[in-house]
Formats: sequence, structure tokens, C-alpha cells
Amino acid sequence: MLKEFTKGIIKENPIFIILLGLCPALAVSTQVVNALGMGAGVIFVLLGSNIFVSLLKDFIPEKIRIPSYIVIIASFVTIVDLVMQAYAPALSRNLGVFVQLIVVNCIILGRAEAFANKNDLSRSVLDALGMGIGFTLGLLLISLIREVLGAGTITLFPIGAFNGVIRIPVLYSAPARVIGLATGALLVMGYLKALLNWFDQRKKV
Amino acid sequence: MNSIFVSGGKLFLICVVAALTLGIINAITEPVIAERKVLELNMALNSLTGELQAAEGVIVGEESVVRAYYPVLRAGKVDSFILELNGSGYGGDMKMLSRYKLNGEIISAKLMDNLETPGLGKKAENPEYMKKFIGSGSSNPVPVLKSMLEQSEAEAITGATITFIGVAKALDEGSRFITEGRLAKVKE
Amino acid sequence: MTYIGIIITFVLIENFILTQFLGLCPFIGVSRKIDSAVGMGFAVIFVMSMASLTTWAVYNLILLPLGIAYLQTITFILIIATLVQFVEMIIQKTSPPLYKALGIYLPLITTNCAVMGIALIAVRKGYNAFESFVAGFAAGVGFLLAILIMASLREKLDSEWVPKPFKGIPIAFVTAGLMALAFMAFDKALLKNLIG
Repeated sequence: MLKEFTKGIIKENPIFIILLGLCPALAVSTQVVNALGMGAGVIFVLLGSNIFVSLLKDFIPEKIRIPSYIVIIASFVTIVDLVMQAYAPALSRNLGVFVQLIVVNCIILGRAEAFANKNDLSRSVLDALGMGIGFTLGLLLISLIREVLGAGTITLFPIGAFNGVIRIPVLYSAPARVIGLATGALLVMGYLKALLNWFDQRKKV
Repeated sequence: MNSIFVSGGKLFLICVVAALTLGIINAITEPVIAERKVLELNMALNSLTGELQAAEGVIVGEESVVRAYYPVLRAGKVDSFILELNGSGYGGDMKMLSRYKLNGEIISAKLMDNLETPGLGKKAENPEYMKKFIGSGSSNPVPVLKSMLEQSEAEAITGATITFIGVAKALDEGSRFITEGRLAKVKE
Repeated sequence: MTYIGIIITFVLIENFILTQFLGLCPFIGVSRKIDSAVGMGFAVIFVMSMASLTTWAVYNLILLPLGIAYLQTITFILIIATLVQFVEMIIQKTSPPLYKALGIYLPLITTNCAVMGIALIAVRKGYNAFESFVAGFAAGVGFLLAILIMASLREKLDSEWVPKPFKGIPIAFVTAGLMALAFMAFDKALLKNLIG
């Protein structure tokens, strides 16, 4: 059972292994706080979607399953969007269109289609959590690299007096800006994936 | 044949439930969102007016650089104006609030919503950035070109010239709005 | 913004794939061969233009007047899903080999961030009906441009030596990264200089 949860984190990590949900991954990974916010949103939608698809799997006829899943997913995305606008406006502004774009995040429809409509509730919940956390971790990794090298900071949530920005001494004064830009995202992704392949190939030998 | 109706019916049911749920969530969050916007605006206005109060704003338009203006009162008389400006930056629209003397001179300015590049154009959010504009607008022209800046100021905006020009042009437009008397026209 | 401005913006300056990362999945998936890339590109242009026009209409003529703008996400994605079904049927009838070549990536245009993306962006920027259509069309052309260049590069890469860990996906990303670097030449400054 636990395997359903852990598979999403390493073996079938959505970002690095299955290569789903890339668009938001590369677009919002300019700051760590954005990654955290996006990750939270995706986990919430994934949970909602997997739960309802699993609960309704015998109710939804095969012919209309894709439109039904879309309506369910879009509803949860709208909830996240409205709640974020009301209670976390800064995050909402930073993530911009990408909050609504969670609805086309292949991961969510992918899990509904590949897993939740064939498995019971508890497994679906674990699957959602595992995939969601795996996505968030992958996103965090990319964001950390991009923000630390590209801007020399790590931006977290402001708490009280702490405005949320941690500056890294040497890098802050001379960051490699290109990494924070579009090019950097694609290059970082390429190199990370190559690194993963390298580990994989060494294991096989 | 029967199954099409059943399928269609089920899909319709799902849509209705979804729409109703969202309607409820929207009803809860809409007032919160609206209230927050008003609060943010008031906080921003107050940061420019200090201990004075800004009176009710006048909307100018949705398309112009000057979106709205707020008279600032001192002892019942108009002391200055805060203009809500919409500039064109590197990443898109930039929202600014700027306080002007009655002769169009810039007292203070603040960059708010924007999509500028972190570390470059976004530095314009820093209060220090606006120092180069303060005092211009009436006898001194607002610096709208890099060449109109001092050496140190020009160096500081390297790599973020478009942001600078966007901010400067909007502030300049605001100043002209006052000096060219367009304020009065809108009042009517 | 002028129509030329919209076109230049979405084809070059804010090229959906290379600057906004919208449309990456099919970009990486369908860019191995030039023919399928072109086919995918045209399908996307069609869907994006029709989608942005239709979503504009629904948003401004139905959602806003009825005060149910919060149903934007749901209605937009359903419109797009329907359009894609429609395009699928057309391609299946008119060009079965293209249909086969595109395979799973055709229905996946529904979840292509680019289509939903342009629909949402056009609304956010307050475009009118024709501007939305032009924006959708231009964004699609930008997608085609990027995927075409990418396919040409990848076809060439197939016959070159690539370090083992980089083979396949990683080198595709690095190539895309270098393309993005090149496209940085098209920025706001260029637009301002071109149309003042």
C-alpha cells in the first residue's frame, strides 16, 4: 500500500521520469516560494480529483469520462484560484495564469485516467499525495537551483518581520542571471535529466 | 439510445453540482477579494500621504496612462494630488501611484503591481529608485531618457533601461496631466 | 496594441514555448521529425485561433453579463476539449497518415497549456474579438516556428554524437535552452524600435 505513495516521489516522479506538468514547472520555478505555492495548489487539485474520480468510477459511463474528469478537475482548480486570490493575493499575482493552467497539468488528468478510475479510494488518495509531493519536490529542486544561481536569493513566505528573502553572500552580488531566465530553465532541466540518466546508467552496469 | 440519455444526464448532473459548488465558493470569496483590493489601495495611498488624508478618487479611464486621481487635503484645502498611473514596462503593464504638487512637481512615487525581471527591473519597487524623479515635473523636466540622468544613476539602471523608461514616461505623463489642466476637465 | 504588435509579440517576443513554456509536452514529444512537427503546428494554429475567438465570445457575451466569470476555467477547457475532438475527426477523415503520425499527441492538444494559455491571456489583456483571434493565430504560429526549428535541429542531432546521459530528452532540453537564448534577441526593445 505504501508503495502507492512512494512511487510518486522517486520511481515515477512526474516531473523527471514521466515528464508531465512541465509547463508550470519551468515557468514558476524562478522563486522557491512560487514552487511551494504551486505545489500546494497541485496537491490540493490532485487530491480532490483522484478522490472524486475514484468515488464516482462506477457512476461515470466510459463514453463521457474525459469531459467528466475535466469538469471535476476544473472545479477544484477554480476553488484553488478563488481561495488564493482571497487569502494569498501576492502568491496569486506571482503565479498569474499558471494557477488556472493547473487544469491542463497533464499530471492530474493523467492520474485520473491511469489510476483513480481503476482503484479504490484509499489507494487513489495515496497516489495523489505521492504524485503531488513528488511534483512539488521536483519543482523545489529546479527552483532552488534557479533562484540561488540566478538571483542569489531564496524567497520564502514572509513571517512577521522576516520579509521572506534569504540572501546568499557571494552569489547575491554576482548571480548568473541567465539561469533565472527562460534559457536557464530549459538548460537546468536538460542537465538535471542528464544527471538522472547518468545515475541510472551507472546502476545498470 | 437509452445509454446516450443516461450518459448525457449524468454529465449534466456533474456539471450542475460543480457549478453550484463554485457558486457557493465564489459567494464566499468575492467580498473578501473586493475588500482586500480596497484595503491595498488605501494602504498604498496612505504610504504616500503620510499624516494627511486622501479624498475620494476620480476615475479617468481604463485606457489612458492616468487611470485615476485622488486629491490630498490639508486643512480642508487641496494640497496635492495622487495619480494612479499605468506604465508600460519590460514584462507588461506597471501600476504606479505618484504624488504631485499642484504645479506638477513629483513629491513621491511608488511602483506597485508589475511583471519586471527580479533583480533588474523589479528593483524599481525600491523607494530609493524613485529618488531620481523627486523634484522634477515643474521647472526641472522629468528624466525620460538615460542620458538625462546623472552618471551614478544611469549606471544603477543598467540592464533595466526599458523599465526605467516605462516608469519615467508614466510619471511624466502624470505631471503633464496636472500642468496641462486635464484634471479640471475630468472633474466635470 | 496594434495587430502587427500583437503578431510580433506572440510569434517572437513572447514566443509561447521559448519564453512562456506553454506547450512544452508536445514540443518535446513531436519534434523528432519535421513532417509531424509541421502537422502538429498547423493543428495547433487552427485550435488556438478558434479557441481564443470562441472563449472571447463566451466570456464577454455570456459569463460577464451573467456575473458568473468564475466559471471561466471550466467553460474554457470544455470549449477547447470540444474543438480538439472536432479537429481530430477532421484530420482522421482527411489525412489518416498524419492522424497516425500525431498519435496520442492530437487529443493531448486539449491539455496543451498553450491553447488554454492564449485563451486566458487574451482575456487578461482585454483584447476584443478580432484581437483575440489574431493573438491565438500568432501564438500558434510562434509554436509552429519553434517546433519546426526544433525538429530540424533534432533530425540533425540524430546523426551526431551525443554523450550517453544526454541522449534523447536531455539534449532536446539543452537545444531548446539555446534556442531560447537566441530568441532573447527579440525583446520589448525590438518591438519599441520597430513600431515606435
